[in-house]
Amino acid sequence: MNIILISVVIVNIILALLFSLGAAPILVWVERRVAGFIQDRLGPNRCNIAGFRLGGLIQSFADMLKLVFKEDFRAGNIKERFIFRIAPVIVFVSAFLSFMVMPFADDLVIGTQTFIMQGLPLDFGVLWFLALAGLSVYGIILGGWSSNNKYSLLGSVRAGAQVISYEVSMTLALVSLLITYGSIHLVDIVNFQSGLIFGFIPAWGIIMQPVAAIIFIITSFAEANRTPFDIAEGESEIVGGYHTEYSAMKFGLFFVGEYVAMSASSALMVTLFFGGYNIPWVGTDTLKEHFDIVMIAIIVLLPLLSYKFGGWILKNNVWPKADDKRNNESKWLIRILVMMNIFVVLLLGSFLFFGVSATTTNIAVAIMQVATFAIKLLLMNFVFVWVRWTLPRFRYDQLQDLGWKVLLPISIANIFVTAIAIVAFGA
Amino acid sequence: MDIIFLVLALLALFGATSTIMFSNTVHSALGFVVTVLALAGLYALLNATFLFMVQIIVYAGAIIALLLFVIMFLNIQQSHAPKEPNKYLLMLVSAIAIVPFDYLLFKAFYSMSFAGDANITTKDFGNIKMLGNELFKNWILPFEAISLLLLVALIGAVVLARKKERA
Repeated sequence: MNIILISVVIVNIILALLFSLGAAPILVWVERRVAGFIQDRLGPNRCNIAGFRLGGLIQSFADMLKLVFKEDFRAGNIKERFIFRIAPVIVFVSAFLSFMVMPFADDLVIGTQTFIMQGLPLDFGVLWFLALAGLSVYGIILGGWSSNNKYSLLGSVRAGAQVISYEVSMTLALVSLLITYGSIHLVDIVNFQSGLIFGFIPAWGIIMQPVAAIIFIITSFAEANRTPFDIAEGESEIVGGYHTEYSAMKFGLFFVGEYVAMSASSALMVTLFFGGYNIPWVGTDTLKEHFDIVMIAIIVLLPLLSYKFGGWILKNNVWPKADDKRNNESKWLIRILVMMNIFVVLLLGSFLFFGVSATTTNIAVAIMQVATFAIKLLLMNFVFVWVRWTLPRFRYDQLQDLGWKVLLPISIANIFVTAIAIVAFGA
Repeated sequence: MDIIFLVLALLALFGATSTIMFSNTVHSALGFVVTVLALAGLYALLNATFLFMVQIIVYAGAIIALLLFVIMFLNIQQSHAPKEPNKYLLMLVSAIAIVPFDYLLFKAFYSMSFAGDANITTKDFGNIKMLGNELFKNWILPFEAISLLLLVALIGAVVLARKKERA
């Protein structure tokens, strides 16, 4: 055990925490604001701490506090207390653990040691995700069952049927992908996607395997219990489905668990189909070789983009009264932005001036890849939110028809086509 | 390692016992889940990583979830279950009845030599590549036979569940 190993492991765990648990309040905020935008209203934007609103992000923290301090009410008809209590924990823990194998960056080389940049350094890859996605349904099934009322039971029955039927198509879609990539280790899969097809198109999964990508995206919406597949919750049909009887932080765990599961699904989609941590057209090796050019590009682009962003803040958050405390927010945000720019430019400038060692390059490249991953993750999460506020919910029979009669035959046919193509043209 | 093994083995036994002892069907199914997960852990201890993941995906994730779904769908209550007056006596009798088999197992186990080739596995034993090579090179015929059997069961289920066409 040396100090580098420990610090890299801690950094990885913190990153995994940030991307899954830390993303939950941000995703709640994104969900509400995007919902507002799509429905032509504002969404929550008033909640503030001393004038700081961050565009409504503070509301999420207020909601979290509310959930923590609410009365933990349990209805008298609930007999299975232990199962009732453990169900939200199962949902939350399995959603959280499933995030742990997503690679945030290429294998980091420090000196002679190589580190896998994942929360858990395992190479089970997609199998780990499938296993935990399968386990998370127990939380929903047991929560609904132990609530001991008809609506909740209906919700959990629906959830069980849905997960079983969609997991089949999901796994088969993954099989055709794995034939293409030739590995289940997610780092290998992402590195495969750093290549180019015909010299100019990034070899991303969505271009190599468009059918599998579409099936996987549809089925992971179902796995994450998101609209249009949220019949387990179905608030307009069966009250609240499996979480009708839950309150306070028990409900909070279901709630946060849903967002963590959504984030994990997005991370897997990004990793499998959208090049993972790769910056398009720029692989890890290219980044390391031309690190000088990359640094110069950042030094030029970052202030420009920050200037645009600062202008946007000033345009949208200026209030006529001079003593309006909301004006403070713009002032401070711009100060922070300027400080950040100065820091980054000075740091990169000193690197350019004094030259960099291989280890510094590796760490800097890893940081850039983590940032790329974060941006892609956020965009994919946005797609989840976008779909939720665009499509209506499926009816139960429509859902089963889609799963068994459309997705399953297509995914099996896709395996055959892929396998024949691989055997005929080589991997 | 020994402690992990003991905990997992005890959990597996606990789950298996609770599966047959509980009168509530959902509790029995949950006991079964515990057994399956503990077995998955044992596979992981044996360095059979692929088997470990597949055990969780297939058994815990799909089959028992399906079982729970059926239990809830049919809404089986305790009062629906048949009366079992001699439950514990029957369990005792069946435990005695499999003693010869236990004897055989123990004898086989203790007659193995641990001195010579106890360390026959390499580090990548049990990962997908090794397992795939083994299955599709040396054991291709049994593998295909089993898959044919599964296919027959699948088709049989569909045929049985199909609506009767009106003559």
